[in-house]
Amino acid sequence: MNNLIAMSYFKRFLIVFICGFVQIFYAAYLLLNLFGYSIEWHISNHDLFMFIPGVLVFVSSGILTASYYLGDRKNNNILYDEYTALRYYKIAAFGYAVNGIGIFILFSIQDWSNWNFQNANNMIYQIAAFAWLTFGILLTVFSIGDYKEYRNG
Amino acid sequence: MGKHHQNLLNNLEDYRKKAGLTQQELSEAAEVSRKSINAIENGIYVPSTVLALKIAKTLKCNVEDLFKLPNG
Repeated sequence: MNNLIAMSYFKRFLIVFICGFVQIFYAAYLLLNLFGYSIEWHISNHDLFMFIPGVLVFVSSGILTASYYLGDRKNNNILYDEYTALRYYKIAAFGYAVNGIGIFILFSIQDWSNWNFQNANNMIYQIAAFAWLTFGILLTVFSIGDYKEYRNG
Repeated sequence: MGKHHQNLLNNLEDYRKKAGLTQQELSEAAEVSRKSINAIENGIYVPSTVLALKIAKTLKCNVEDLFKLPNG
């Protein structure tokens, strides 16, 4: 348990990067399907596997939160200092803003006159793909930048 | 004066060098990441009051010696 909670720059990079990368993978998969590009491979059980990005974010957030509150205080003062927190806030705010605009556009382009379950299902997938792509890119880029800064200054 | 944030001028690099500390040593004493010290020195980031006081205490000077308002 202590090993899980003890955080380092590399562990944080891995956790955030994996979350971001998985989201990009799922977004790409959904977008290919939504735009009608046929790929040979399909996720076998949508009811189960489509939860993976969300579960990963939930578990990762839990690990990071536990490490913040229960980990070594001195180490955490450095890992979670105010400058890092400010950058996380900024990136999250940017992500939410882009998502808000994206969801507004996705709502606007739907064919509401012929609304049916298929269209509703597609819209849910479009929103999921857009949100995953936005936050996936932000998380991946941020995790790489954060770790590179730690290594190189 | 070092590199400036639009809202705050700072002397941190000069004072840190006078104290013979590296960014890493100052960051450990002030309990923040080295990135934060680097960002403050380069005028990218304005520190909180608590952090400014910790840095001043480490460098044995006043906060006003390290940071000044652009018009003051």
